[in-house]
Amino acid sequence: MIDRILTSGIWRRLRGGYGLLFLGFLYLPLGLIFFYSFNSNPINIVEWSGFTFDWYKTIFVGADAESNFDAVFSESPARIFEVVKNSLFIALTASAIATVIGTATALAMGRHSFAGKRLYQALLILPMVVPDIVLGIALLIFFVGAGFELSLATIIIGHVTFLSSYVFIVVSARLAGMDTSLEQASADLGAGPLTTFRRITLPQIMPGVMGGFLLGFIISLDDVVITYFIAGVGAQTLPLFILAMMRRGLRPQISALAVLLLLFSFLVAATGLWLRGRKVNRH
Amino acid sequence: MAAAGKSAGSVASRRRWALVLLLAPITLVLGCFFLIPLGIMMVYSVLEPGVYGGVEWVWYPYNYGRILGWPLNDYEQFDPVYLRILLNSLLLAVLTVIGTFVLCYPAAFWVARMPPGRKNLVLFLITLPFFANLLIRIYAWLLLLRPTGFINAVLQGAGLIDEPLDLMFSNTAVLIGMIYILTPFMFLPLYASVEKLDPGLLRASQDLGANAVQTFWRVILPLTAPGIMAGALIVFIPALGNFIVPSFLGGSKVQMTGTLIERSFLQSRDWPFGAALALLIMGFVVALVLIGLARGNRAGVRR
Repeated sequence: MIDRILTSGIWRRLRGGYGLLFLGFLYLPLGLIFFYSFNSNPINIVEWSGFTFDWYKTIFVGADAESNFDAVFSESPARIFEVVKNSLFIALTASAIATVIGTATALAMGRHSFAGKRLYQALLILPMVVPDIVLGIALLIFFVGAGFELSLATIIIGHVTFLSSYVFIVVSARLAGMDTSLEQASADLGAGPLTTFRRITLPQIMPGVMGGFLLGFIISLDDVVITYFIAGVGAQTLPLFILAMMRRGLRPQISALAVLLLLFSFLVAATGLWLRGRKVNRH
Repeated sequence: MAAAGKSAGSVASRRRWALVLLLAPITLVLGCFFLIPLGIMMVYSVLEPGVYGGVEWVWYPYNYGRILGWPLNDYEQFDPVYLRILLNSLLLAVLTVIGTFVLCYPAAFWVARMPPGRKNLVLFLITLPFFANLLIRIYAWLLLLRPTGFINAVLQGAGLIDEPLDLMFSNTAVLIGMIYILTPFMFLPLYASVEKLDPGLLRASQDLGANAVQTFWRVILPLTAPGIMAGALIVFIPALGNFIVPSFLGGSKVQMTGTLIERSFLQSRDWPFGAALALLIMGFVVALVLIGLARGNRAGVRR
Protein backbone atom coordinates (compact mmCIF):
# COMPACT_ATOMS: atom_id res chain seq x y z
CA MET A 1 0.00 0.00 0.00
CA ILE A 2 2.71 2.43 0.95
CA ASP A 3 4.48 1.60 -2.27
CA ARG A 4 1.33 2.47 -4.18
CA ILE A 5 1.05 5.74 -2.29
CA LEU A 6 4.70 6.54 -2.88
CA THR A 7 4.44 5.93 -6.62
CA SER A 8 0.97 7.37 -7.19
CA GLY A 9 0.67 10.54 -9.23
CA ILE A 10 -0.67 12.74 -6.44
CA TRP A 11 2.18 11.89 -4.11
CA ARG A 12 4.74 12.46 -6.81
CA ARG A 13 3.31 15.84 -7.69
CA LEU A 14 3.20 16.80 -4.01
CA ARG A 15 6.83 15.78 -3.63
CA GLY A 16 7.83 17.64 -6.77
CA GLY A 17 6.01 20.75 -5.56
CA TYR A 18 7.76 20.56 -2.22
CA GLY A 19 11.08 20.10 -3.97
CA LEU A 20 10.57 23.28 -5.96
CA LEU A 21 9.65 25.16 -2.78
CA PHE A 22 12.84 23.84 -1.19
CA LEU A 23 14.98 25.05 -4.09
CA GLY A 24 13.12 28.36 -4.00
CA PHE A 25 13.92 28.73 -0.29
CA LEU A 26 17.60 28.19 -1.07
CA TYR A 27 17.82 30.47 -4.10
CA LEU A 28 15.20 33.24 -3.85
CA PRO A 29 17.02 35.18 -1.12
CA LEU A 30 20.22 35.06 -3.17
CA GLY A 31 18.30 35.99 -6.33
CA LEU A 32 16.94 39.02 -4.51
CA ILE A 33 20.47 40.35 -3.96
CA PHE A 34 21.22 39.87 -7.65
CA PHE A 35 18.02 41.65 -8.70
CA TYR A 36 18.43 44.64 -6.39
CA SER A 37 22.13 45.09 -7.20
CA PHE A 38 20.85 46.75 -10.40
CA ASN A 39 18.50 49.12 -8.57
CA SER A 40 19.50 52.77 -8.93
CA ASN A 41 17.88 53.80 -5.63
CA PRO A 42 20.76 54.64 -3.24
CA ILE A 43 18.60 55.17 -0.14
CA ASN A 44 16.20 52.24 -0.02
CA ILE A 45 17.73 49.18 -1.65
CA VAL A 46 14.44 47.35 -2.26
CA GLU A 47 12.43 50.29 -3.62
CA TRP A 48 12.89 50.02 -7.37
CA SER A 49 13.72 53.29 -9.06
CA GLY A 50 15.38 52.20 -12.29
CA PHE A 51 17.99 49.92 -13.78
CA THR A 52 21.66 50.77 -13.36
CA PHE A 53 25.16 49.27 -13.54
CA ASP A 54 26.45 52.09 -11.31
CA TRP A 55 27.06 49.96 -8.22
CA TYR A 56 29.29 47.62 -10.17
CA LYS A 57 31.02 50.63 -11.65
CA THR A 58 31.73 52.00 -8.15
CA ILE A 59 33.65 48.80 -7.40
CA PHE A 60 35.91 48.90 -10.46
CA VAL A 61 36.27 52.55 -11.46
CA GLY A 62 34.82 54.45 -8.52
CA ALA A 63 31.86 56.78 -8.13
CA ASP A 64 31.09 59.61 -10.57
CA ALA A 65 32.43 62.89 -9.33
CA GLU A 66 29.13 64.70 -10.03
CA SER A 67 27.01 62.13 -8.24
CA ASN A 68 27.17 62.95 -4.55
CA PHE A 69 25.09 59.98 -3.57
CA ASP A 70 27.35 57.41 -5.20
CA ALA A 71 30.45 58.83 -3.58
CA VAL A 72 28.89 58.89 -0.12
CA PHE A 73 27.46 55.40 -0.42
CA SER A 74 30.48 53.55 -1.72
CA GLU A 75 34.01 52.49 -0.86
CA SER A 76 36.85 53.36 -3.19
CA PRO A 77 38.09 50.81 -5.78
CA ALA A 78 41.61 51.06 -4.33
CA ARG A 79 40.39 49.96 -0.91
CA ILE A 80 38.33 47.11 -2.37
CA PHE A 81 41.25 46.00 -4.53
CA GLU A 82 43.47 45.88 -1.45
CA VAL A 83 41.16 43.63 0.58
CA VAL A 84 40.51 41.36 -2.41
CA LYS A 85 44.27 41.05 -2.88
CA ASN A 86 44.67 40.19 0.83
CA SER A 87 41.92 37.58 0.63
CA LEU A 88 43.32 35.92 -2.49
CA PHE A 89 46.86 35.92 -1.08
CA ILE A 90 45.71 34.33 2.18
CA ALA A 91 43.46 31.78 0.47
CA LEU A 92 46.11 30.72 -2.07
CA THR A 93 48.98 30.50 0.45
CA ALA A 94 47.00 28.83 3.22
CA SER A 95 45.34 26.26 0.95
CA ALA A 96 48.63 25.47 -0.83
CA ILE A 97 50.39 24.81 2.50
CA ALA A 98 47.38 22.88 3.81
CA THR A 99 47.29 20.79 0.62
CA VAL A 100 50.91 19.67 1.10
CA ILE A 101 50.40 18.95 4.81
CA GLY A 102 46.99 17.28 4.35
CA THR A 103 48.23 15.09 1.48
CA ALA A 104 51.32 14.00 3.42
CA THR A 105 49.09 13.13 6.38
CA ALA A 106 46.66 11.20 4.17
CA LEU A 107 49.59 9.18 2.75
CA ALA A 108 50.87 8.42 6.24
CA MET A 109 47.44 7.36 7.50
CA GLY A 110 46.45 5.47 4.35
CA ARG A 111 49.68 3.64 3.54
CA HIS A 112 51.30 3.04 6.93
CA SER A 113 50.28 1.37 10.15
CA PHE A 114 51.75 2.66 13.38
CA ALA A 115 51.07 2.92 17.07
CA GLY A 116 48.86 5.88 17.95
CA LYS A 117 47.10 5.93 14.57
CA ARG A 118 43.65 6.13 16.17
CA LEU A 119 44.85 9.05 18.26
CA TYR A 120 45.92 10.87 15.10
CA GLN A 121 42.56 10.09 13.50
CA ALA A 122 40.75 11.72 16.43
CA LEU A 123 43.17 14.67 16.43
CA LEU A 124 42.58 15.28 12.71
CA ILE A 125 38.79 15.36 13.13
CA LEU A 126 38.98 17.70 16.13
CA PRO A 127 39.60 21.04 14.29
CA MET A 128 36.42 20.42 12.28
CA VAL A 129 34.37 19.55 15.37
CA VAL A 130 35.47 22.45 17.55
CA PRO A 131 33.15 25.45 17.01
CA ASP A 132 34.77 28.20 14.90
CA ILE A 133 34.49 30.77 17.65
CA VAL A 134 36.42 28.55 20.09
CA LEU A 135 39.26 28.02 17.62
CA GLY A 136 39.27 31.74 16.84
CA ILE A 137 39.65 32.91 20.43
CA ALA A 138 42.12 30.11 21.31
CA LEU A 139 44.33 31.30 18.45
CA LEU A 140 43.88 34.94 19.50
CA ILE A 141 44.97 34.18 23.08
CA PHE A 142 47.91 32.15 21.78
CA PHE A 143 49.13 34.72 19.24
CA VAL A 144 48.88 37.61 21.68
CA GLY A 145 50.47 35.62 24.49
CA ALA A 146 53.33 34.34 22.32
CA GLY A 147 54.05 37.84 21.07
CA PHE A 148 52.99 37.33 17.44
CA GLU A 149 51.84 40.53 15.79
CA LEU A 150 48.37 40.00 14.30
CA SER A 151 48.79 40.23 10.53
CA LEU A 152 48.27 38.39 7.26
CA ALA A 153 50.74 35.79 8.56
CA THR A 154 48.67 34.95 11.65
CA ILE A 155 45.57 34.61 9.47
CA ILE A 156 47.42 32.20 7.17
CA ILE A 157 48.65 30.12 10.13
CA GLY A 158 45.14 30.00 11.57
CA HIS A 159 43.64 28.91 8.24
CA VAL A 160 46.28 26.20 7.68
CA THR A 161 45.36 24.71 11.07
CA PHE A 162 41.81 23.80 10.09
CA LEU A 163 42.22 23.52 6.29
CA SER A 164 44.78 20.68 6.66
CA SER A 165 42.05 18.50 8.14
CA TYR A 166 39.68 19.18 5.23
CA VAL A 167 42.39 18.35 2.66
CA PHE A 168 43.25 15.22 4.64
CA ILE A 169 39.62 14.01 4.45
CA VAL A 170 39.32 14.66 0.68
CA VAL A 171 42.67 13.05 -0.24
CA SER A 172 42.05 10.10 2.11
CA ALA A 173 38.78 9.35 0.35
CA ARG A 174 40.63 9.29 -2.95
CA LEU A 175 43.44 7.10 -1.55
CA ALA A 176 40.97 4.63 -0.08
CA GLY A 177 39.32 4.09 -3.46
CA MET A 178 42.68 3.50 -5.17
CA ASP A 179 44.06 0.17 -6.29
CA THR A 180 47.38 -0.50 -4.46
CA SER A 181 48.60 -3.17 -6.89
CA LEU A 182 50.25 -0.59 -9.15
CA GLU A 183 52.23 0.79 -6.22
CA GLN A 184 53.30 -2.71 -5.24
CA ALA A 185 54.30 -3.52 -8.83
CA SER A 186 56.35 -0.33 -8.97
CA ALA A 187 58.13 -1.21 -5.73
CA ASP A 188 58.69 -4.80 -6.88
CA LEU A 189 60.26 -3.53 -10.08
CA GLY A 190 62.81 -1.65 -7.99
CA ALA A 191 61.46 1.90 -7.94
CA GLY A 192 62.24 3.84 -4.78
CA PRO A 193 59.42 5.28 -2.64
CA LEU A 194 59.90 8.75 -4.12
CA THR A 195 59.76 7.50 -7.71
CA THR A 196 56.72 5.37 -6.92
CA PHE A 197 55.04 8.36 -5.32
CA ARG A 198 55.85 10.72 -8.18
CA ARG A 199 55.08 8.37 -11.07
CA ILE A 200 52.26 6.18 -9.67
CA THR A 201 50.57 7.49 -6.53
CA LEU A 202 50.53 11.23 -7.18
CA PRO A 203 48.99 11.08 -10.68
CA GLN A 204 46.26 8.81 -9.35
CA ILE A 205 45.35 10.92 -6.31
CA MET A 206 45.73 14.20 -8.24
CA PRO A 207 41.96 14.83 -8.57
CA GLY A 208 41.67 14.42 -4.79
CA VAL A 209 44.60 16.75 -4.19
CA MET A 210 43.13 19.37 -6.55
CA GLY A 211 39.70 18.93 -4.96
CA GLY A 212 41.22 19.38 -1.52
CA PHE A 213 43.05 22.49 -2.65
CA LEU A 214 39.88 24.04 -4.13
CA LEU A 215 37.84 23.18 -1.02
CA GLY A 216 40.55 24.74 1.15
CA PHE A 217 40.71 27.78 -1.10
CA ILE A 218 36.97 28.44 -0.95
CA ILE A 219 36.73 27.81 2.82
CA SER A 220 39.65 30.16 3.44
CA LEU A 221 38.26 32.80 1.09
CA ASP A 222 34.86 32.70 2.81
CA ASP A 223 35.97 32.35 6.41
CA VAL A 224 34.55 35.04 8.66
CA VAL A 225 34.57 33.88 12.26
CA ILE A 226 38.14 32.66 12.80
CA THR A 227 39.62 35.45 10.68
CA TYR A 228 37.55 37.97 12.66
CA PHE A 229 39.50 37.17 15.82
CA ILE A 230 43.01 36.74 14.42
CA ALA A 231 43.12 39.60 11.91
CA GLY A 232 45.02 42.60 13.18
CA VAL A 233 44.33 46.22 12.39
CA GLY A 234 46.20 46.26 9.10
CA ALA A 235 45.05 42.90 7.73
CA GLN A 236 41.50 43.08 6.43
CA THR A 237 40.04 40.38 4.20
CA LEU A 238 37.07 40.77 1.84
CA PRO A 239 34.56 39.08 4.20
CA LEU A 240 35.71 41.26 7.12
CA PHE A 241 35.42 44.30 4.85
CA ILE A 242 31.86 43.32 3.89
CA LEU A 243 31.08 42.71 7.58
CA ALA A 244 32.25 46.22 8.43
CA MET A 245 30.20 47.68 5.55
CA MET A 246 27.10 45.79 6.70
CA ARG A 247 27.51 47.14 10.23
CA ARG A 248 27.48 50.69 8.88
CA GLY A 249 24.16 50.06 7.13
CA LEU A 250 22.85 48.48 3.96
CA ARG A 251 24.32 50.08 0.84
CA PRO A 252 23.62 49.03 -2.76
CA GLN A 253 27.36 48.65 -3.33
CA ILE A 254 27.32 45.72 -0.87
CA SER A 255 24.77 43.99 -3.14
CA ALA A 256 27.03 44.38 -6.16
CA LEU A 257 30.07 43.18 -4.21
CA ALA A 258 28.05 40.25 -2.84
CA VAL A 259 26.96 39.23 -6.34
CA LEU A 260 30.55 39.23 -7.59
CA LEU A 261 31.81 37.20 -4.61
CA LEU A 262 28.87 34.81 -5.01
CA LEU A 263 29.61 34.23 -8.70
CA PHE A 264 33.30 33.68 -7.98
CA SER A 265 32.58 31.19 -5.13
CA PHE A 266 30.09 29.31 -7.32
CA LEU A 267 32.62 29.11 -10.14
CA VAL A 268 35.31 27.63 -7.87
CA ALA A 269 32.79 25.27 -6.24
CA ALA A 270 31.47 24.13 -9.63
CA THR A 271 35.02 23.35 -10.76
CA GLY A 272 35.59 21.31 -7.60
CA LEU A 273 32.31 19.40 -7.97
CA TRP A 274 33.12 18.77 -11.63
CA LEU A 275 36.51 17.31 -10.65
CA ARG A 276 34.77 15.03 -8.19
CA GLY A 277 32.16 14.02 -10.75
CA ARG A 278 34.91 13.10 -13.19
CA LYS A 279 36.46 10.81 -10.60
CA VAL A 280 33.16 8.98 -10.13
CA ASN A 281 32.66 8.53 -13.85
CA ARG A 282 36.07 7.01 -14.41
CA HIS A 283 35.54 4.29 -11.84
CA MET B 1 69.76 -14.36 1.13
CA ALA B 2 71.85 -12.05 3.23
CA ALA B 3 71.52 -9.31 0.66
CA ALA B 4 67.76 -9.78 0.53
CA GLY B 5 67.56 -9.65 4.34
CA LYS B 6 69.61 -6.49 4.46
CA SER B 7 67.53 -4.78 1.80
CA ALA B 8 64.33 -5.80 3.60
CA GLY B 9 65.74 -4.21 6.75
CA SER B 10 66.68 -1.01 4.93
CA VAL B 11 63.24 -0.92 3.28
CA ALA B 12 61.63 -1.12 6.71
CA SER B 13 63.80 1.67 8.10
CA ARG B 14 63.21 3.76 4.99
CA ARG B 15 59.49 3.31 5.47
CA ARG B 16 59.82 4.39 9.06
CA TRP B 17 61.66 7.54 8.01
CA ALA B 18 59.04 8.23 5.34
CA LEU B 19 56.32 7.93 7.98
CA VAL B 20 58.10 10.33 10.32
CA LEU B 21 58.57 12.84 7.50
CA LEU B 22 54.94 12.55 6.40
CA LEU B 23 53.57 13.02 9.91
CA ALA B 24 55.96 15.76 11.04
CA PRO B 25 54.17 18.76 9.45
CA ILE B 26 50.67 17.95 10.73
CA THR B 27 52.04 17.13 14.18
CA LEU B 28 53.82 20.46 14.27
CA VAL B 29 50.84 22.48 12.99
CA LEU B 30 48.17 20.85 15.16
CA GLY B 31 50.49 20.72 18.17
CA CYS B 32 51.63 24.34 18.05
CA PHE B 33 48.56 26.07 16.67
CA PHE B 34 45.73 23.92 17.90
CA LEU B 35 46.46 21.84 21.00
CA ILE B 36 48.67 24.41 22.74
CA PRO B 37 46.20 27.30 22.12
CA LEU B 38 43.34 25.15 23.44
CA GLY B 39 45.45 24.28 26.46
CA ILE B 40 46.28 27.93 27.13
CA MET B 41 42.60 28.79 26.81
CA MET B 42 41.75 26.17 29.47
CA VAL B 43 44.36 27.68 31.80
CA TYR B 44 43.05 31.21 31.14
CA SER B 45 39.51 30.15 32.00
CA VAL B 46 40.48 29.67 35.66
CA LEU B 47 42.61 32.82 36.03
CA GLU B 48 41.62 36.26 37.25
CA PRO B 49 40.96 38.82 34.51
CA GLY B 50 43.55 41.58 34.28
CA VAL B 51 42.53 45.20 34.59
CA TYR B 52 43.37 46.15 31.00
CA GLY B 53 42.71 42.80 29.32
CA GLY B 54 44.99 39.81 29.72
CA VAL B 55 45.13 37.84 32.98
CA GLU B 56 46.48 37.85 36.50
CA TRP B 57 48.04 34.54 37.51
CA VAL B 58 45.59 33.93 40.33
CA TRP B 59 43.32 30.88 40.68
CA TYR B 60 39.83 32.19 39.93
CA PRO B 61 37.09 29.59 39.28
CA TYR B 62 34.49 32.34 39.59
CA ASN B 63 34.58 32.69 35.77
CA TYR B 64 32.58 29.47 35.75
CA GLY B 65 30.75 30.40 38.94
CA ARG B 66 29.28 33.50 37.30
CA ILE B 67 27.71 31.30 34.64
CA LEU B 68 26.81 28.12 36.50
CA GLY B 69 25.87 29.63 39.85
CA TRP B 70 28.28 29.77 42.73
CA PRO B 71 28.84 33.25 44.11
CA LEU B 72 32.29 34.82 44.52
CA ASN B 73 31.79 35.53 48.20
CA ASP B 74 29.07 35.84 50.78
CA TYR B 75 28.07 39.35 49.74
CA GLU B 76 27.26 38.69 46.11
CA GLN B 77 24.20 36.93 44.87
CA PHE B 78 24.10 34.68 41.87
CA ASP B 79 22.63 36.35 38.80
CA PRO B 80 21.26 33.74 36.40
CA VAL B 81 21.51 36.05 33.36
CA TYR B 82 24.47 34.17 31.82
CA LEU B 83 22.95 30.79 32.54
CA ARG B 84 19.79 31.92 30.80
CA ILE B 85 21.80 33.06 27.76
CA LEU B 86 23.59 29.72 27.65
CA LEU B 87 20.31 27.80 27.82
CA ASN B 88 18.82 30.09 25.16
CA SER B 89 21.71 29.29 22.84
CA LEU B 90 21.22 25.57 23.43
CA LEU B 91 17.52 25.95 22.68
CA LEU B 92 18.25 27.92 19.50
CA ALA B 93 20.73 25.26 18.33
CA VAL B 94 18.20 22.48 19.01
CA LEU B 95 15.43 24.38 17.18
CA THR B 96 17.81 24.96 14.27
CA VAL B 97 18.48 21.23 14.09
CA ILE B 98 14.73 20.49 14.14
CA GLY B 99 13.98 23.19 11.56
CA THR B 100 16.64 22.09 9.08
CA PHE B 101 15.59 18.45 9.58
CA VAL B 102 11.91 19.14 8.86
CA LEU B 103 12.91 21.09 5.73
CA CYS B 104 15.46 18.60 4.40
CA TYR B 105 13.93 15.21 5.14
CA PRO B 106 11.15 15.38 2.52
CA ALA B 107 13.55 17.07 0.09
CA ALA B 108 16.00 14.17 0.49
CA PHE B 109 13.24 11.72 -0.58
CA TRP B 110 12.35 14.00 -3.48
CA VAL B 111 15.94 13.92 -4.81
CA ALA B 112 16.52 10.23 -4.05
CA ARG B 113 13.63 9.15 -6.31
CA MET B 114 14.85 11.10 -9.36
CA PRO B 115 16.28 9.66 -12.58
CA PRO B 116 20.13 9.82 -12.41
CA GLY B 117 20.73 12.72 -14.81
CA ARG B 118 18.32 15.11 -13.13
CA LYS B 119 19.38 13.87 -9.71
CA ASN B 120 22.97 15.02 -10.30
CA LEU B 121 21.80 18.43 -11.47
CA VAL B 122 19.51 18.95 -8.46
CA LEU B 123 22.18 17.72 -6.04
CA PHE B 124 24.56 20.21 -7.61
CA LEU B 125 21.98 23.00 -7.19
CA ILE B 126 21.40 22.12 -3.53
CA THR B 127 25.14 21.93 -2.78
CA LEU B 128 25.99 25.22 -4.47
CA PRO B 129 24.53 27.68 -1.87
CA PHE B 130 26.73 25.89 0.67
CA PHE B 131 29.63 27.77 -0.92
CA ALA B 132 28.01 31.19 -0.72
CA ASN B 133 29.63 33.37 1.92
CA LEU B 134 27.91 33.32 5.31
CA LEU B 135 27.65 37.13 5.34
CA ILE B 136 26.01 37.23 1.92
CA ARG B 137 23.39 34.72 3.01
CA ILE B 138 22.64 36.85 6.08
CA TYR B 139 22.61 39.98 3.93
CA ALA B 140 19.89 38.37 1.80
CA TRP B 141 17.69 37.99 4.88
CA LEU B 142 18.36 41.57 5.90
CA LEU B 143 16.93 42.60 2.51
CA LEU B 144 13.91 40.39 3.16
CA LEU B 145 13.12 41.14 6.80
CA ARG B 146 13.94 44.82 7.33
CA PRO B 147 11.07 47.22 8.10
CA THR B 148 11.70 48.71 4.65
CA GLY B 149 12.59 45.26 3.29
CA PHE B 150 11.14 43.05 0.60
CA ILE B 151 8.50 41.20 2.62
CA ASN B 152 7.09 44.40 4.12
CA ALA B 153 7.20 46.13 0.73
CA VAL B 154 5.22 43.31 -0.89
CA LEU B 155 2.68 43.12 1.93
CA GLN B 156 2.19 46.89 1.95
CA GLY B 157 2.01 47.00 -1.83
CA ALA B 158 -0.74 44.38 -1.75
CA GLY B 159 -2.58 46.47 0.83
CA LEU B 160 -2.51 43.70 3.42
CA ILE B 161 -0.84 45.82 6.09
CA ASP B 162 -0.63 49.56 6.75
CA GLU B 163 2.36 49.66 9.04
CA PRO B 164 5.50 47.63 8.34
CA LEU B 165 5.72 44.49 10.46
CA ASP B 166 8.53 44.21 12.98
CA LEU B 167 10.22 41.12 11.56
CA MET B 168 13.82 41.75 12.55
CA PHE B 169 15.54 41.70 15.93
CA SER B 170 13.67 38.73 17.32
CA ASN B 171 14.43 35.14 18.24
CA THR B 172 12.37 34.06 15.22
CA ALA B 173 14.49 36.12 12.83
CA VAL B 174 17.66 34.61 14.28
CA LEU B 175 16.18 31.12 13.97
CA ILE B 176 15.20 31.69 10.34
CA GLY B 177 18.66 32.99 9.48
CA MET B 178 20.32 30.09 11.27
CA ILE B 179 18.12 27.53 9.48
CA TYR B 180 18.88 29.18 6.15
CA ILE B 181 22.66 29.13 6.53
CA LEU B 182 22.79 25.58 7.92
CA THR B 183 20.29 23.80 5.64
CA PRO B 184 22.94 22.35 3.28
CA PHE B 185 24.81 20.90 6.28
CA MET B 186 21.70 18.90 7.17
CA PHE B 187 20.72 17.96 3.64
CA LEU B 188 23.88 16.17 2.53
CA PRO B 189 24.16 13.55 5.34
CA LEU B 190 20.38 13.02 5.31
CA TYR B 191 20.39 12.49 1.58
CA ALA B 192 23.29 10.01 1.82
CA SER B 193 21.29 7.77 4.15
CA VAL B 194 17.95 8.20 2.36
CA GLU B 195 19.51 7.27 -0.96
CA LYS B 196 20.82 4.00 0.47
CA LEU B 197 17.31 3.06 1.62
CA ASP B 198 16.38 -0.21 -0.07
CA PRO B 199 12.90 -0.01 -1.71
CA GLY B 200 12.70 -3.80 -1.27
CA LEU B 201 12.55 -3.34 2.50
CA LEU B 202 9.61 -0.94 2.17
CA ARG B 203 7.80 -3.45 0.01
CA ALA B 204 8.60 -6.23 2.49
CA SER B 205 7.23 -4.12 5.34
CA GLN B 206 3.98 -3.55 3.48
CA ASP B 207 3.73 -7.21 2.41
CA LEU B 208 3.99 -8.17 6.06
CA GLY B 209 0.95 -6.02 6.79
CA ALA B 210 2.44 -2.77 8.13
CA ASN B 211 0.58 0.40 7.27
CA ALA B 212 2.28 3.57 6.03
CA VAL B 213 2.76 5.03 9.52
CA GLN B 214 4.21 1.79 10.90
CA THR B 215 6.55 1.46 7.92
CA PHE B 216 7.77 4.99 8.52
CA TRP B 217 8.37 4.55 12.27
CA ARG B 218 9.71 1.01 12.21
CA VAL B 219 11.60 0.87 8.91
CA ILE B 220 12.32 4.24 7.27
CA LEU B 221 13.22 6.22 10.39
CA PRO B 222 15.58 3.65 11.98
CA LEU B 223 17.35 3.02 8.67
CA THR B 224 17.99 6.71 8.07
CA ALA B 225 18.92 7.38 11.72
CA PRO B 226 22.70 7.51 11.05
CA GLY B 227 22.15 10.32 8.53
CA ILE B 228 19.83 12.14 10.93
CA MET B 229 22.40 11.87 13.74
CA ALA B 230 25.25 13.08 11.53
CA GLY B 231 23.18 15.99 10.16
CA ALA B 232 22.01 16.98 13.63
CA LEU B 233 25.58 17.05 14.89
CA ILE B 234 27.06 19.14 12.11
CA VAL B 235 24.17 21.61 12.30
CA PHE B 236 24.25 21.80 16.09
CA ILE B 237 27.98 22.61 16.35
CA PRO B 238 28.05 25.84 14.29
CA ALA B 239 24.58 26.87 15.51
CA LEU B 240 25.68 26.81 19.16
CA GLY B 241 28.52 29.31 18.95
CA ASN B 242 27.41 31.49 16.04
CA PHE B 243 27.53 35.20 16.85
CA ILE B 244 27.18 36.71 13.40
CA VAL B 245 23.56 35.71 12.76
CA PRO B 246 22.35 36.95 16.18
CA SER B 247 24.28 40.21 15.85
CA PHE B 248 22.66 41.08 12.50
CA LEU B 249 19.19 39.51 12.74
CA GLY B 250 18.80 39.67 16.53
CA GLY B 251 20.39 43.01 17.24
CA SER B 252 20.84 43.91 20.86
CA LYS B 253 17.54 42.25 21.77
CA VAL B 254 18.84 38.73 21.30
CA GLN B 255 21.78 37.67 23.47
CA MET B 256 23.50 34.42 22.58
CA THR B 257 26.59 32.73 23.97
CA GLY B 258 28.48 33.52 20.77
CA THR B 259 27.80 37.25 21.08
CA LEU B 260 28.74 37.12 24.75
CA ILE B 261 32.08 35.45 23.97
CA GLU B 262 32.79 37.95 21.19
CA ARG B 263 32.06 40.87 23.50
CA SER B 264 34.17 39.58 26.36
CA PHE B 265 37.12 39.31 23.98
CA LEU B 266 36.82 42.38 21.81
CA GLN B 267 34.91 44.86 24.01
CA SER B 268 34.82 44.20 27.76
CA ARG B 269 38.25 42.52 27.57
CA ASP B 270 37.39 39.90 30.16
CA TRP B 271 39.31 37.09 28.47
CA PRO B 272 39.02 34.47 31.23
CA PHE B 273 35.23 34.80 31.27
CA GLY B 274 35.07 34.44 27.46
CA ALA B 275 37.39 31.43 27.65
CA ALA B 276 35.17 29.80 30.29
CA LEU B 277 32.07 30.30 28.09
CA ALA B 278 33.89 28.93 25.05
CA LEU B 279 35.01 25.85 26.99
CA LEU B 280 31.46 25.26 28.20
CA ILE B 281 30.05 25.19 24.64
CA MET B 282 33.00 23.05 23.54
CA GLY B 283 32.14 20.69 26.40
CA PHE B 284 28.59 20.31 25.05
CA VAL B 285 29.91 19.61 21.56
CA VAL B 286 32.51 17.07 22.67
CA ALA B 287 29.94 15.30 24.86
CA LEU B 288 27.53 15.07 21.91
CA VAL B 289 30.25 13.77 19.57
CA LEU B 290 31.26 11.12 22.11
CA ILE B 291 27.62 10.05 22.58
CA GLY B 292 27.22 9.89 18.80
CA LEU B 293 30.38 7.81 18.40
CA ALA B 294 29.37 5.47 21.22
CA ARG B 295 25.91 4.92 19.71
CA GLY B 296 27.48 4.39 16.29
CA ASN B 297 29.86 1.78 17.72
CA ARG B 298 27.04 0.02 19.55
CA ALA B 299 24.94 -0.07 16.40
CA GLY B 300 27.97 -1.46 14.55
CA VAL B 301 28.40 -4.21 17.14
CA ARG B 302 24.71 -5.10 17.06
CA ARG B 303 24.84 -5.51 13.31
